[in-house]
Amino acid sequence: MRLLTLCFRNLSRRKLRTLLCIIGVALATTFVIAVGATTMRYATVIKEMNVLFSGQVMVVSKDAIVIQAIPIGGGMLPQNSTVNKIKNITGLEKTVPILFVTPSIEVSGTLIPVPENFSMGVPVEDWRSIFGSTPLKGNVGHFPINESSNEAVIGPSLADQYRWSVGTKILINGYELEVVGILDTKLALLNRCVVMSLKLAQEIYNYRGSVNIITAKPVQGTTQKNLADAIENQISYVNALTEDERNDMIQPILVQVETWNLGLQTVVFAMSLILVMTVTLMSVSERRRDFATLDAIGASVSYVFRVVIVESTLIGVLGGVLGIFFGSLLALVLASLYTNISLAQFFPSIFEIVPPLYLIEIFAAIVSVSCIGGVVPALNAMRMRIAEVLRAEY
Amino acid sequence: MRMKTTDLTRIYRLGPSEITAVNKVNLEITEAMFMAIVGPSGSGKSTLLHLIGLNDYPTFGKICIDDADVSLLSSSEHRKIRLLRMGFVFQTFNLLPTLSALENVELPMALAGKSSKEQTEKALRLLEAVGLSNRLVHRPKELSMGEMQRVAIARALANDPEMIIADEPTGELDSKTAKEIIALLFEINRKKKAIVVVATHDEKIVDVADRIYLIEDGGLRLQS
Ligand SMILES: Nc1ncnc2c1ncn2[C@@H]1O[C@H](COP(=O)(O)OP(=O)(O)O)[C@@H](O)[C@H]1O
Ligand SMILES: [Mg+2]
Repeated sequence: MRLLTLCFRNLSRRKLRTLLCIIGVALATTFVIAVGATTMRYATVIKEMNVLFSGQVMVVSKDAIVIQAIPIGGGMLPQNSTVNKIKNITGLEKTVPILFVTPSIEVSGTLIPVPENFSMGVPVEDWRSIFGSTPLKGNVGHFPINESSNEAVIGPSLADQYRWSVGTKILINGYELEVVGILDTKLALLNRCVVMSLKLAQEIYNYRGSVNIITAKPVQGTTQKNLADAIENQISYVNALTEDERNDMIQPILVQVETWNLGLQTVVFAMSLILVMTVTLMSVSERRRDFATLDAIGASVSYVFRVVIVESTLIGVLGGVLGIFFGSLLALVLASLYTNISLAQFFPSIFEIVPPLYLIEIFAAIVSVSCIGGVVPALNAMRMRIAEVLRAEY
Repeated sequence: MRMKTTDLTRIYRLGPSEITAVNKVNLEITEAMFMAIVGPSGSGKSTLLHLIGLNDYPTFGKICIDDADVSLLSSSEHRKIRLLRMGFVFQTFNLLPTLSALENVELPMALAGKSSKEQTEKALRLLEAVGLSNRLVHRPKELSMGEMQRVAIARALANDPEMIIADEPTGELDSKTAKEIIALLFEINRKKKAIVVVATHDEKIVDVADRIYLIEDGGLRLQS
């Protein structure tokens, strides 16, 4: 008679109660995974924003609302005058004006952290310096050729979703654009991006002569800090943000998200612990006679201990497996709801939304929690003595 | 196995009052003896059997097994003795409800670390000996009380004990079944040369015993 079989049978003796407890643990796990995966996704997207512009100072308007120096609202800069002023500053190697448009970032007044898509306008001659290392999918197509051509390069996730390919004509604000290439990238920022020439973007989105980001790359020997200070001294209406400053801006937000997440997890796991402990205590006290009999016929205390611990751990294992399944599903549904990208689209990349390592961590945590939840009941079971139990029954 | 008790006493303290459930019992149990302890309810039978079954500790007095004082042994050594050298039969059977008849009998052998092949073979033989070959996969709740007690007896025999301790084994059974159970215990005593100690309030049932003790208010005396 294997211990595991015995424990399974004991659990299935009280089917409803065991089931409810497993569902409770599964719900807790589902919640932790869905919330954790969603917040981690936001954090990743925010962190990734910096990758594209690494090594550069980013100049934005003082009244712009920025995340990682990506302006998500307000604050335009006059293109020519600002670029010219920056060009006069010593220590500058290259500067590129960019128009960054997030059309769907506000839905009925609420800010959504991960927009469905956005557009980027970049001067044609500066493509290389921004996307230099990003290839086009299958090496098909090309980057837009001149400023006034109605051509766009799109992110792979957008292409997949709408089944756009090279040659497809797309319509934005009444302008017809031809897709001339699909970016081969995993960056969240570029994945959902429509990139076109700066002039075209300004025209389509009605921002003639304005941009909202100007990148400034320092020459060798000049630090980002020095360049940024010089820019801010010369131009009163801008903020020049170095990479470090941009990271510092989001650090507190990320830390806070992390802390909330940890707090939630702790509370949810503590509740699971109490649930498992209560249920196991009940089932031990119902089976006082069984444990006392085991003691009387000479079972070791460790055997009795193991019977109870394995039972409570099994609840965690079953609840954990269910929770991982439903939690991953819920995380997908949430990601799909927040981005308006269909669920089917998200499925192939499920392990990017809920990283396997994270799932393993949560599973280990919930299994440990339910194992620990069995300790007090197991100690109780070890103390059952036949002389007292048989008497107490009457 | 030989067991000798000296002034064995068990006192329960309930607040200020004391109950002497077993009072200065001197008893010698020798090999292959069938022994009955008869007394009314509350006379101390169960308490005495828990003491000699090493399931409880005396307030005074001592128990020697083969001339060794068991109070000098650790509780895990007591467990070993209970597992390997004693077998217990309870009034309420105390089978594990989630195990089949066969598995209940295998359990003490599993606890003793026997191989599963050995467990099954032996359990089959024991269940056959108590007349239950056709009830192997039944759970306790699917058995009659008499059948449950037979399973319990088979379980008590699993590790070839030298002593079987049965506390009112017929208390829940009708008189016909009760006679059969006592006959079974008697047969075991004679065939396997195991000591059998039976406690009962019904003297008629144990007329087969080698020795009958009467217990009253915790005091034990020999009747025949
Ligand atoms: N755990 C206990 N606490 C207090 N008194 C007890 C306890 N167990 C037994 N007694 C008392 O000891 C006496 C003997 O009980 P018991 O050995 O169960 O008798 P029997 O088995 O002959 O009916 C009774 O008066 C009973 O009330
Ligand atoms: Mg009794």
